[in-house]
Amino acid sequence: MASVYKSAKAGEKAENKSNGTVDRRINKQRVLLLSSRGITYRHRHLMNDLEAILPQAKKDSKLDSKSHLHILNELAELSNCNNCIFFEVRKRQDLYMWISKTPNGPSAKLHIQNIHTMDELKLTGNSLKGSRHMLSFDKNFDASPHYQLLKEMFTQVYGVPKGARRSKPFIDHILSFSIVDNRIWFRNYQIVEKNPSNTPGYTAKDQDDITLVEIGPRFCMTVIRVFEGSFGGSTVFENPEFVSPNMIRAAHRREKATKYNSRQAAQTERKAKLKEAEGKESELSTRKVFG
Amino acid sequence: MSSDDSNHSEEELQIIQEDELMEQVPVSLEDLDASDIDDEDGDLILEQKVTINNEAALKRITEEFRLKDLPWIETMAVTSTEPIELEDVHDDLKRELAFYQQALEAANIGREKVKAAGLPFTRPDDYFAEMVKSDEHMEKIRQRLLDETAGVKASEDAKRQRDLKKFGKKVQIEKLQERQKKKSEDMEKIKMLKRKRKGAEDFSTEDFDIELDGGADDKSNKKSKRGPSKRDKKDSKYGFGGKKRYAKSNTAESSADVGGFNPKKNKAPFKGQAKRPGKAKRANNRNRK
Repeated sequence: MASVYKSAKAGEKAENKSNGTVDRRINKQRVLLLSSRGITYRHRHLMNDLEAILPQAKKDSKLDSKSHLHILNELAELSNCNNCIFFEVRKRQDLYMWISKTPNGPSAKLHIQNIHTMDELKLTGNSLKGSRHMLSFDKNFDASPHYQLLKEMFTQVYGVPKGARRSKPFIDHILSFSIVDNRIWFRNYQIVEKNPSNTPGYTAKDQDDITLVEIGPRFCMTVIRVFEGSFGGSTVFENPEFVSPNMIRAAHRREKATKYNSRQAAQTERKAKLKEAEGKESELSTRKVFG
Repeated sequence: MSSDDSNHSEEELQIIQEDELMEQVPVSLEDLDASDIDDEDGDLILEQKVTINNEAALKRITEEFRLKDLPWIETMAVTSTEPIELEDVHDDLKRELAFYQQALEAANIGREKVKAAGLPFTRPDDYFAEMVKSDEHMEKIRQRLLDETAGVKASEDAKRQRDLKKFGKKVQIEKLQERQKKKSEDMEKIKMLKRKRKGAEDFSTEDFDIELDGGADDKSNKKSKRGPSKRDKKDSKYGFGGKKRYAKSNTAESSADVGGFNPKKNKAPFKGQAKRPGKAKRANNRNRK
């Protein structure tokens, strides 16, 4: 029965197409969203937030391997996705975000820091689930080629295409990407248009005013590498300023270790100095005279 | 370096001088020979990361996968007119303000473009659908905001109350001082009066004096009669102010002083406790009271 229905439906669709009521989607983007194993709760919440924001995203189960990332291309193809956001978690603390245009690339690996998820009570905004958002880019994105590439990638991966499945008609929030300190800062704001009900002391002058209220999540991305292919291929950009969190932790630990060593050295030195200062017994010492 | 300066040949010295001249001109690490680098401590890291920035390839790739010939409404991406430049990244307020302004500008531009494309922008108030944050969560947020404002108000109230108390105390002290002043002035007046009287008539007017004491000088007299207060007594007994250390330890004087010692007392026979008086005596005593 079902197959009959399906074929009938397909025929109908084809007919529609010939009638001129074609599928008008010209920007087809679907995003596969998944993480590696060993993800922590905070990273998981961030992933859930992204899923809530992006109606065109499809969440998949955790990926076992961290070394064979090329299978992600196949996974994306299986779920009809042409983009992929992959959360790679290392040592249960460091989060790397891969974003990729599967299957042919390019792709980029970013280090994610300063995560604030939507659950935080300080972020007071709210928006429709699945409403399309605008994307706001800093002008700094046009300054260098790798940022231009990333900007294009963000527009395709984070932008909700018109007519996307589950998307809702109104536009009530905006994602902003800014470059400060050679990092990309991500923010999500609700767009509130002033009206008598939400603004005390509303006047006609306020009519077209917009205020923004932050919804969250917020995080900060540092570019590590940009690859020509999807999850692989030759490196076309490598960030010279990036220092891996492992290095930072090791340096910190080494500093701590040297602190102990230097203190010990100082103590032994002081002891030796004191001993020297005591000096030799003189001819007239009490012990010699009366002893 | 300084220790083996004397061993340098002239040639080497010349090189050193040249080096000093060249110090002003920065030389990149790649341009240096390994022999040029003076590594006294041996902790210099000579390896440098080879950075890749293949701009031509980046541009080519971007051009390849760029979405071409799409109307704006498909992507809704807005680029700001001014790049963000911050002096201090760690200044949270300024940084967030810059982000906010960037997004606000984009929102204003975007709204015009969306309206121009003939799509609805504003969500009507009666459009109900699932939100990103649940109602429970929004209720929590609301509660937190309320708590915050209540906390601010409470702390302000407490501050006001403290200030009032401080002010009240000041007023009280002023009043006391005024009273004291008035009293001393009165006393002065009375003394003057007395002296005048004594000068005018030699015979004493005792009854008048008594009258005076009972009249204006009443309060101060009472106080002087009362003697030291409980506080004064306690202070003299337990001490107030001054050094507290060694108060109970012997001094040369105290150890030389044998005033309290009576050798006879030691030899006196033991008397035992004072006997309890008999019943009749006790009853008598009680009656006397």
